Amino acid sequence: MQHVEIENVHKSFGSVEVIKGIDLSVAKGQFCALLGPSGCGKSTLLRMIAGLEAVSSGKVFVNGADVTNTHPAKRQIAMVFQSYALYPHMTVRQNISFSLDVAGRPKPEAAQRTEEVARILQLTDFLDRKPAQLSGGQRQRVAIGRALVRSPEVFLFDEPLSNLDAMLRVQMRFELAKLHEELATTMIYVTHDQIEAMTLASKIVVLDAGTISQVGTPLELYNQPANKFVAGFIGSPQMNFLKGRMETVAGREVRLELAGSGSVAILARGGVEDLKPGELEIGIRPEHIRPCNPGDAEANLSGRVELVEHLGNSTVLYVSTGSGRLVVQRSDDLSIRTGDTIGLAVDASRAHVFGADQRAI
Amino acid sequence: MTSMSVGTATHPAAGKAPTIAGEKKHTRYIVAAVCIFLIALMLFPVFMSLLASIKTPAEAMAAPPTYLPHALSLDNYFKVYDYQVGLPVYLFNSLAVAFLTIVFCLVLAVPAAYGLARFPVPGKEILFVVLLLGLMIPYQALVTPLYLMFSKIGLSNSLVGLALIHTIVQLPFSVFLLRNSFEAIPKALEEAAVTDGCNSWQTLWRVFLPLVKAGIVTVVLFAFIASWNEFLGALIFMSRESNFTIPIMLVNVRTGQHGAIDWGALQAGVVIAVLPCIAIYVLLQKYYMSGFLSGAVK
Ligand SMILES: Nc1ncnc2c1ncn2[C@@H]1O[C@H](COP(=O)(O)OP(=O)(O)O)[C@@H](O)[C@H]1O
Ligand SMILES: [Mg+2]
Repeated sequence: MQHVEIENVHKSFGSVEVIKGIDLSVAKGQFCALLGPSGCGKSTLLRMIAGLEAVSSGKVFVNGADVTNTHPAKRQIAMVFQSYALYPHMTVRQNISFSLDVAGRPKPEAAQRTEEVARILQLTDFLDRKPAQLSGGQRQRVAIGRALVRSPEVFLFDEPLSNLDAMLRVQMRFELAKLHEELATTMIYVTHDQIEAMTLASKIVVLDAGTISQVGTPLELYNQPANKFVAGFIGSPQMNFLKGRMETVAGREVRLELAGSGSVAILARGGVEDLKPGELEIGIRPEHIRPCNPGDAEANLSGRVELVEHLGNSTVLYVSTGSGRLVVQRSDDLSIRTGDTIGLAVDASRAHVFGADQRAI
Repeated sequence: MTSMSVGTATHPAAGKAPTIAGEKKHTRYIVAAVCIFLIALMLFPVFMSLLASIKTPAEAMAAPPTYLPHALSLDNYFKVYDYQVGLPVYLFNSLAVAFLTIVFCLVLAVPAAYGLARFPVPGKEILFVVLLLGLMIPYQALVTPLYLMFSKIGLSNSLVGLALIHTIVQLPFSVFLLRNSFEAIPKALEEAAVTDGCNSWQTLWRVFLPLVKAGIVTVVLFAFIASWNEFLGALIFMSRESNFTIPIMLVNVRTGQHGAIDWGALQAGVVIAVLPCIAIYVLLQKYYMSGFLSGAVK
C-alpha cells in the first residue's frame, strides 16, 4: 500500500456532488500536485485527506492506516492553508510551537524543536514578532513552520503561494522545492497554477469537475495529454485547437483536411484502424509551429500576422488563418511584423488528435 | 487614543486621518467643532455636579444656585460617606452585584455565542431570534413576576439575586454581540486549531477568546454600566437598608430627612457614583483596539 491512498471517494454538499469517485495513491516521499481550475474540487479533496471534511463515501488511508473517520489531529498530516491561518495573538514562536503545546509535550523539547524549525525556515530573527508584523512571504513560512514542527507523515498544501506577488511566488516555489528535497516527506499540493505543479511535483493529478482527468509526470502531461482538457490546461501559451476532417489513415498516420485551408498528417497514438472519416480536432502547441514562407512545401497553413509580442527570450505571434487564430511561439527573435502573410509548418510528430469524445487518439 | 493596533506595521497610513484628494480642508474643522460642542454638552452636567459637590452644604442648597463655589468644602462627601449604614456598604453592594453580573454574563454568553456561531446547532437561527425577543420585552413588565419567583426561592433581598436580574436583562445583548464577534473569526483559524490538536474547548479558550477580546470587553463594560446604574430592580428586590445599591442610596439621599433636598450630598454621591464608570472605561480602553485579527489571514 502506498503512503497516502484514496479509494473511490465521493463528496456531496447537499444534492451537489463535487467529488465524483476518486482513486489516488501517493508514494512515500513523493511530491504530488492536485491541479485543476477553480471550483473543480481540489480543496475539497485535500480537506477530506486532512479530515476537515467528512467523505460522503469511500476511504482514506495514511501510512497504511484507515483514517477515514479519524480526527484531523490524529492523522499524522499537517496542513498549510491558503490564507495561512496564523494565530494573530501569538508570536511566531507560539504559533509554531502551538501544536506541541496542545499535545502536552515537555517545554524544553518544544522550544528546541521550534528553534530548529525556525532555523530551517530562516525565521529565527522573527520568533518574537506577531504575524501582523511580518511580510507575506514570512507569514507563509510561519504557516509552513507550524506544519513542519509536528513532523507529519504528510504535508498538505492548499494553494499556499496564491496570496503572494509574482516575484515572491517564484522564490517561495524554489524554497518549497528545496524543503521537499531536504525533508523527503510526502507532500500533496493543491494549485490551479500549472507552472507551480509542473515545477514542484513529480506526480500531477489533473482534476476536472470532481473527476480525475489524467495522472502523470509533468512531461507525460505535456507530451501525452490524455484528452483535450489536460492538453488545454497544461502549457503556456495554451495549445491551439483546430477543427479538421479526417481524410485517410495510413498505419498510424492520420491525414486531416483543415477547415479553411491546408492539410496536415499527424502520427496518432494508436487505435486508428477503425477510425471513420469525419470531424476531429487537432491540438498543436504554440512552440511546435514554425513560421515559413507561405508558398513553401512544408507550410501546412498560411495566414496574416495580427500581433507580435517580443518577450526577449521568445517571440509570440498571433496569426489569423482560415482555421481560426493560431498562437505561435519561437525562442528566437523573428523579423516578422504585424500584417505580414506567413506560412506555418506544424511539427506533426508533436501534434495531437482528439476524437469527438475529446479523448486523444 | 495613541495606542494603535499591531496592524499598523502593514498599514503605514493607519492612525492618521485619511486625506482624500479634493476633500475640503474646512470640512474637517466643522466636524471637529461639532464633536467638541457635543462633548461639552455631555460634560456640562457632570461638571456642574462636581462643582456643586465641593460647595459648602449651605451654598449647595442655595436658591438661586451659584455657578462657581464661593468656598471649597468636602463636607458633602463626609455626609454621604456616613449616610445611613455608610457609603462603603453601598459601594460594596453595587460593586459586588456588578461584578457578579459580569461573571454571570460571561459564563453564560460566551458558550452560548460560541455554540450559536460555530456549531451546527439545529434550529439555531430560531433560537437566536427567540433570544433577541427578550430585548423587546420591557424590563418593567418582567420585574414583578421575577420578584414573585425570586421570593419563592429565597433570592430576593440578596446580592446574587439582583445580579441574576441584571444578567437576565443584559444577556440577550451579550450573546448577540459575542456571536457576531465569534462569527467574524475566519473558518481557517478554527481548522488550523483543530489540525493542531485542539478540542472545542481548547479552540475556544486558546484561539477564539483572545480574538474576541474587544467583544468581551464591550460585554463587560455594558454589563457593568447597566448593573451599576440599575434602579428599578434594585428598588423592588432590595428591602433591607444594608442591601441597597448606590442608585437607591442616591434617591434616599436626595429625599433627605425633612423633605428638603440635600443637593450638596446628592451631587457628592453622583460624583462618587460616576467615578467607577470612568475608571472601568479608562482601564479597558486599550482593549478597544481594532485589528485583533490582522495578520491571521492574507
Ligand atoms: N462547504 C461547502 N458547501 C457547499 N458547497 C461547497 C462547500 N465547499 C465547497 N463547495 C463547492 O464545491 C465545489 C468545489 O470547491 P473547492 O473544492 O473549494 O474547489 P477548488 O479548491 O478546486 O477551487 C465548488 O463548486 C464549491 O462551491
Ligand atoms: Mg480551493
